[in-house]
Amino acid sequence: MNTPILWILLPILAAGISLFFLRYRYLLRWSGLGFGVILATSALLLPINEVFKFLFWDVKLSDQLLIFGRRFILSGADRPVVVLLLFLWAFWLLIMDPELVPMQFIPLSLLGIGLILTAYSVEPIFYGALFFAFLALVYVVLLSPPGKEPTPGVLRFLIFQILGMLFILFAAWLASWIDLNTGNQVMLARSLLILALGFSFLLSIFPFISWISMVGERNHPFLVGFVFNTYFLGVFLFGTRFILEGGWIGQGVNIQVPLQIAGAIMLGFGGFMAVYSKHLGRLMGAVIIAEIGRSLLAISLFQAGFPIYFGMVILQSISLGVWSLSLTQLQQGIHDLDFHSAAGAARLWPILTSGLLLGYFALAGVPLLGGFPIYWSLGSGLSFFPIWINSIFVLSTLGLIFGGLRLLEVLTKNISEESILILGKPYYRYLILGLNIVLILIGFLPQWIFSLTRSISGLLLGS
Amino acid sequence: MPYFLQSLLVALLFICGAGILIVPNRRLMTGLLAIQYIGVFLLVSVSWPLEIAVVKLVAGWMASAVLFLTYQNLPGTNSDGRMPLGLPGTLFKGFTAVLLGVSVFSLVPTALRWFLGATQQQVLGGLWLLGLGLLQLLLIRDSLRTIVGLLTVISGFEILYATLEASVLMTGLLAILNIGFAFLGAYLIMASNLEESS
Repeated sequence: MNTPILWILLPILAAGISLFFLRYRYLLRWSGLGFGVILATSALLLPINEVFKFLFWDVKLSDQLLIFGRRFILSGADRPVVVLLLFLWAFWLLIMDPELVPMQFIPLSLLGIGLILTAYSVEPIFYGALFFAFLALVYVVLLSPPGKEPTPGVLRFLIFQILGMLFILFAAWLASWIDLNTGNQVMLARSLLILALGFSFLLSIFPFISWISMVGERNHPFLVGFVFNTYFLGVFLFGTRFILEGGWIGQGVNIQVPLQIAGAIMLGFGGFMAVYSKHLGRLMGAVIIAEIGRSLLAISLFQAGFPIYFGMVILQSISLGVWSLSLTQLQQGIHDLDFHSAAGAARLWPILTSGLLLGYFALAGVPLLGGFPIYWSLGSGLSFFPIWINSIFVLSTLGLIFGGLRLLEVLTKNISEESILILGKPYYRYLILGLNIVLILIGFLPQWIFSLTRSISGLLLGS
Repeated sequence: MPYFLQSLLVALLFICGAGILIVPNRRLMTGLLAIQYIGVFLLVSVSWPLEIAVVKLVAGWMASAVLFLTYQNLPGTNSDGRMPLGLPGTLFKGFTAVLLGVSVFSLVPTALRWFLGATQQQVLGGLWLLGLGLLQLLLIRDSLRTIVGLLTVISGFEILYATLEASVLMTGLLAILNIGFAFLGAYLIMASNLEESS
């Protein structure tokens, strides 16, 4: 037995089998949740490359799988990534409403997680780009449930991801050529440029950002939340490993400045979009664009930035989760997600809209909520860098908060209907309240998150 | 493979790529896609052993067959699967295809410095398909044509990449990706006709 079989092939196999049981909504959801928790716990506890007793047998879990001469490795150092991704999947299953979310979400999301882990574990790492192409195929199907036309945003997402894959494969080949001709600065610059273009497509860095708001506006909010959450996390994990293992830093290349420029541009766009967005889906897109920017800025701080980045991942997952859950439930009461249709919703459905507001404000970085201490740390780390980066950081955060205040104004607008209506099952309302409390608690007790994320980044960077 | 035959293959690739962009008939478009894969296979076989290169042909034909069978059996479509397109639109696409062909042709000497093991025809064929596929992606929003555009882009890339690397796993994964695209295209064409799941 080895870890890639246990944590990659087994979930992919389970995803395939679960396609045959789509009609049993609740059975699939709860068994999937159990499966996810068991797998994540196994990733947390099982010793790797050591013999241990399992029931009556002595078992040794090797850390690699060999296929056609290529290795797939999930060692002890990769544990945090496996645990994070599997718990993330279990979390999205916990908050999904099987009545409102297309059932193919369960198998396709599990397949997606399996593919992210495959892309992360493959050696040589540039093969991972191909698995991201497969992931894009899976997520396109996920975002285009039966009965709905595929939206232009989804098609654009597919195109950009495939182009990104091609550029990364080509850049990786160029980089391998440099190894044989050490010191060829022209080739190094060319390959870096192509690599940057490839990752720009994958991470939707300006000018390839259009699909984010298009998908946010036209597709199912729950599916969009999941895709935004896991896709970008996967690309960041893959990109980090690509940079660390590919020896790009070792070649004396300064990637900090490009990362910070890209991060500042994305954060600026996100903040700007949040000010002008008049659609709940587009507002989610704006926050995601800003989050990509913040993630790039955090990673540009290298060792000091990784705990901040993982803190942002945890916060983003909870915030996006509560936002998507609330929006999915709210869709039953309002016919469209534009501001006009959502006017006064907080007076009719206060709990559902509280999820929207807290999820959004936590990601915007409002004080006393979960995002504030994390973004404060990021801002402190960036304070040693040029003033324009810090200015964009502050202005964009203000833009995001302004967008949130507009949302608050719209949701609490007086529309002459004052009675509180009940929408959705009590379980989901309690879930929204619970997640709201978690977001507030993170704001008050950030040291819990930081101690966790410091150990995650310590394990990963120690590898 | 003789120089003249390679040149003929490249010409065939350009005609197929431009034809896919221009023709309004979906059946003809898929036919051209299938012919295009013959050219791709033969150009790849310049760098690779025939038994590995043939994977490109098999995967490409499977992809074409999946797409053809899907819209052929789709309920409520007209018999020839024709997409509405006026003469000005066709002329514009034809003109841009020719413009792209000429531009790429002029870039080949520069590109040859990047692909050291490739012949001039391989580079030209690969770049033409890449360009024509991208043009298709830029000009059209239809999901089927987007998939065909992506298949054309990947075909161009495969010709170029074959001159750089000959990994069995990479070949297999790219073949699966091609077929995956076809199934995705089939799904996207049918998605709106399927029963809603929630």
